Amino acid sequence: MPIVVWQLVFFVFPLLFLLLMSFWLVKNYRMVPGFDSVNWIKMYGKGYFWDGYWRTLGYAGITTVITSVLAFPCAFTLAFKVSPTVRRWAMFFLIVPFFTSYLVRIFSWQIFLNDNGIINVLLGLVGLGPFSMLNTFFGTVVGYLTLCLPLAVVLQLISLSNVDRRLIEAAHNLGCGSFRTVFAVIIPLAKIGIIVAAVFCFILSFGDFVSPYYLGGSKPPTLSILIIDTTKSGQQWPRAAVVAITMIVTLFTIMFTAIALAYRRR
Amino acid sequence: MIRAKAYDGLFFFYVALVFVFVFLPILTSFVFSFNSERFPTIPLGHFTLHWYTLAFTDADVWDAFRVSLIVSLSVAFIATFLGFCTAYTDYRYNFFGKSAYLALSLLPPTIPLVIMGLAMLALLARIGMSGKIISIIVSHVVLCSPFAMAIVRMRLAQIDPNLESAAWNLGASQWRTMREVIVPFCAPALISAFCLTAAVSFDEFAVAWFVSGLNKTVPVIILEILQGNTDPRINAIGSVVFVTSITLIILAQIIYMRKSTRKTLTGF
Amino acid sequence: MPTNPAQPLVLFDHVTKRFGLTTAVDSISLEIFEGEFLSIMGPSGCGKTTTLRMLAGLEEPSEGDIQLAGERINNVTVSERDTPMVWQSLALFPFLNVIKNVEFGLKMRGVSATERRKRALDWLERLEIADFADREISQLSGGQQQRVALARSLVTEPRILLLDEPLSALDANLVVRMQGVLTKLQKELGITFVYVTHRQSEAFAMSDRVVIMNQGRIEQIDSAKGIYRNPATRFVAEFVGANNILTGTVIAADELIEIETPAGRFKCAENSDHTWSIGDTTSLVISADLIRLSTSAVNETNEMACRFISEEFVGSIVTVLAETPDGADFRIQLQQRELSELDLNVGATIYVRWDSHDAHLLRDTT
Repeated sequence: MPIVVWQLVFFVFPLLFLLLMSFWLVKNYRMVPGFDSVNWIKMYGKGYFWDGYWRTLGYAGITTVITSVLAFPCAFTLAFKVSPTVRRWAMFFLIVPFFTSYLVRIFSWQIFLNDNGIINVLLGLVGLGPFSMLNTFFGTVVGYLTLCLPLAVVLQLISLSNVDRRLIEAAHNLGCGSFRTVFAVIIPLAKIGIIVAAVFCFILSFGDFVSPYYLGGSKPPTLSILIIDTTKSGQQWPRAAVVAITMIVTLFTIMFTAIALAYRRR
Repeated sequence: MIRAKAYDGLFFFYVALVFVFVFLPILTSFVFSFNSERFPTIPLGHFTLHWYTLAFTDADVWDAFRVSLIVSLSVAFIATFLGFCTAYTDYRYNFFGKSAYLALSLLPPTIPLVIMGLAMLALLARIGMSGKIISIIVSHVVLCSPFAMAIVRMRLAQIDPNLESAAWNLGASQWRTMREVIVPFCAPALISAFCLTAAVSFDEFAVAWFVSGLNKTVPVIILEILQGNTDPRINAIGSVVFVTSITLIILAQIIYMRKSTRKTLTGF
Repeated sequence: MPTNPAQPLVLFDHVTKRFGLTTAVDSISLEIFEGEFLSIMGPSGCGKTTTLRMLAGLEEPSEGDIQLAGERINNVTVSERDTPMVWQSLALFPFLNVIKNVEFGLKMRGVSATERRKRALDWLERLEIADFADREISQLSGGQQQRVALARSLVTEPRILLLDEPLSALDANLVVRMQGVLTKLQKELGITFVYVTHRQSEAFAMSDRVVIMNQGRIEQIDSAKGIYRNPATRFVAEFVGANNILTGTVIAADELIEIETPAGRFKCAENSDHTWSIGDTTSLVISADLIRLSTSAVNETNEMACRFISEEFVGSIVTVLAETPDGADFRIQLQQRELSELDLNVGATIYVRWDSHDAHLLRDTT
């Protein structure tokens, strides 16, 4: 079972080290091992940390909701209104971009959303705008969507395709209209997949730094940007570790809560 | 399928919108990589290969591609191997602590890359290993093995539960069975996992950025260029990267779909 | 093929298999002789498949010895035993074509490539599928795949072949055809077939001897006819054929044993090796197809008045369901012709009777 060894050494250990490191001190740009909770106290005392925390949490939360809502009609259509062949090809084409060039796509969005970018030019033709889209929350959301939307659609799609069609027919048969059936029957049945999709959206948007940095203007910073700032300029690795650990704990808590909720009452 | 045809058109339009949203940035990057204007907007300038030349006469860029290639291929091999071992162990054995074992193997994708990058950097720097190519490889294997494991595990789920027993029954030792039965059966999944992990590694920027130091991979170069002003070279580099990744992914998916549907037996 | 009275090829000596707290096989002892076609039959969960798997080495006995050709094989691994099996799901290798599947066992034994191919082709010809040698498995029909599975197991020319419900998933007409193939094959080769099934028709059609298992124990071992006509236990009587069982007490034990049951008094010939005493509890078993039916009393021994309930039309045979005087079910099998001549209505009184020598008594009444 070599993978256990590998994972232990290269995955668990670095994270544990991070935890350890959060208690170290930095003197003269060098780290000094020790056990001092000064980093934690200082970090948690800083206003900008908590600002960043709640902001990141809020961003991720909003993004999750938006992505889930936007993904659903697409996943629904692909699950119920197209042939299996089309569905397979659609999934194929959705999975492809997920693994490729997130950076380049963000860069493209930069171009699009720029004040002189394509969208504003087009809007200008009909006399609208220009709208400032870069360096705003809107830009960040667009970036997050680029990251999360395909995945959300795929995960929701898988769950929706596994819904037993006969239950839907039964609902119709008992007088439930098409629209109501979606909320009364289909969503509850696909609950797990929808929640899993949401959890992944949350994880991705919570930890991503590219979108808020390049499309959102990087100020005020999210936690991920905070880590980078703390690390790259100032070498304050222990402080960065504090932020990182806090993020992990938050994420795990949310993940477990979500999964517990999802599997409750099955 | 659910009936109601009237507003189905709306649904399809919506799906099209989603696809446009997903693919538009890629397309435009591709288009603008050939555009003469420095700043990408409409109307377009004329067709040119200028940016490609500019990008690829830069030694740094070539170096980065070299590093990326080495890293992604190494990662692909190691991650696929590890993923296969884990998947097979999960399939075949039931043992104490199995859930913990599985959780450990599948956890990496849930940790934000920034954090992984920081952790790896911290640890490796401490033991003097940061900035080396091997450090990137190691970090990426951690990230990519879960994907490989998932792919192989899915394939193993399709196997006739008696197939291994049949091989033993016909005189094959455990080791021989692995060689002659399990591996050939998993072949499409293994190839698929290889391509996928290579693609993921090739594209991964966050951890690489933290850990690579002077040995930069392509995404790291892109990040650095991004931090400067709008530089159309990115479109050129990005298009090449995209084409590479997408070829790998498409290969992975096609091989898996083709080989596994043709060669799966479901009894009769 | 007559059973060989000499040393058995396979011996199960008080073999038990437990899975955790469940006992799947409970101290069975069984001899399997060279050259016979033996079936192990029983309801699901009776332990028949576990028994077969233990013989193949896929399960290890918790207690007891298994011997193959006189040697104890408990510790011999699957790969080292020469007990090829034909699987219910066939377990053909999807990534190999037909002939490579068949060659597999030979390849494991280190036979050269040319030799392998020749022998594999021989077997494919024997099973009349040589034309498919280079095809992919998925291109074959169910019956053809069956034959490939057979060839694959037999190519190494083993002394014994194990079959785990191989015909369960086939269509009815294919089953009949394959039964013929298997029987013919076994007779030509003269090797031992151990065949596991839950279907009575398969076991009876092909076997020299049948083993009936229930809840991990062997209920009876006999030829098909023996089991059908002389079920040894209540379970076998209920599981095999269509038997009527009347439980009562022995009231006379002379040339004919007479028993008193809630449904009446009946006489039975003493054809078991058991000595009956007055007061013994016993069950009388009479097969539904040995019963005669009439609309008026004939006043012979072993006659009973029943109420006609319904008839079940299966083809040329009809099963009549009746109710005994004490309210139990009673089945009679007769030709469709005979029944129509009687012209019965629901609720009518019918008289059933049988010959004393056609019934027999069970030793246990559980």
